[in-house]
Amino acid sequence: MDPDRALVEAAAAGSREAFDELVRRHQAAIVGLARVLTSGRGDAEDLAQEVFVRAWKSLRAFRGDSAFRTWLHRVAINVVRTSQSRTGRLLQMFTATHEEAPDVPSGEEPVDASLARRQMIERALAALPEELRVAVTLRDMQGLDYREIADLLGVPMGTVESRIFRARQRLKPLLAPLLERKE
Amino acid sequence: MIEQDPDQELVAAALAAAPPPEVSPSFLARVNARIDSERPGDDAGWLQLADFRTWTLRLVPAAAALALVAALWSGSDSSTTPTSSSPSPAVAQTFTPASAGDWQQDVSGNAMIEAALTGGDRVR
Repeated sequence: MDPDRALVEAAAAGSREAFDELVRRHQAAIVGLARVLTSGRGDAEDLAQEVFVRAWKSLRAFRGDSAFRTWLHRVAINVVRTSQSRTGRLLQMFTATHEEAPDVPSGEEPVDASLARRQMIERALAALPEELRVAVTLRDMQGLDYREIADLLGVPMGTVESRIFRARQRLKPLLAPLLERKE
Repeated sequence: MIEQDPDQELVAAALAAAPPPEVSPSFLARVNARIDSERPGDDAGWLQLADFRTWTLRLVPAAAALALVAALWSGSDSSTTPTSSSPSPAVAQTFTPASAGDWQQDVSGNAMIEAALTGGDRVR
């Protein structure tokens, strides 16, 4: 049972209050996903807003075949990829840093521990190829199951498992400080 | 499952424990502002691409330019090379519209061919 179902139905009928509640529920997840997909380039909130605008406009077409959360993730991936295809070519022409991690001031420890943790994770994810980054983010940070990810990305479930496995292998040395603390 | 690998589990747990990103307090207000600013006509989304009226209007300048080029080209062609596009006097005499009356059912084919080749009198 989709926990968002009642809100989705109300929003599809035109209730802005219901849609506002859906935004509140999912805004952090969608902003987080956009941050990872864009490698923290700074326009994640703008893209996340665009995701919700598109969702509002398309809500009547949402048939409930999947959970609203899964559908929203699909919208987010489409929005980010569309944005990247528009600007990516120009960025790649004039910069050579598109595969590098987002800038974090070196030598300065962020004051807030949770911020430091998040920055380390985002930097590690940014070092991955996109297909690995998306799969492991959807699984481990967004909590989608393998079947949902496979449907969302349009690839076989075995491919999803393989991507997640390889992503975690590559992330292990990059996240070593975090892993050591847990051990 | 791949989660049973200890290293895989460690990484998965570290990612799952990542603190959620801070979202601007005005996020919801900005979403609503963007929704409100959308014009009703924009609701068509991708379907708008299939709207022939949109394409028709967008193609008007190109169509007008093509029509202008075609008009200029045909005008200059007829004025600069009159001999190439005009029939010779003999042919003109034979095949002028006035000779349309020659197409009578009682005229034989041989007589018409002879008249055309010789440029002679019209077949009667």
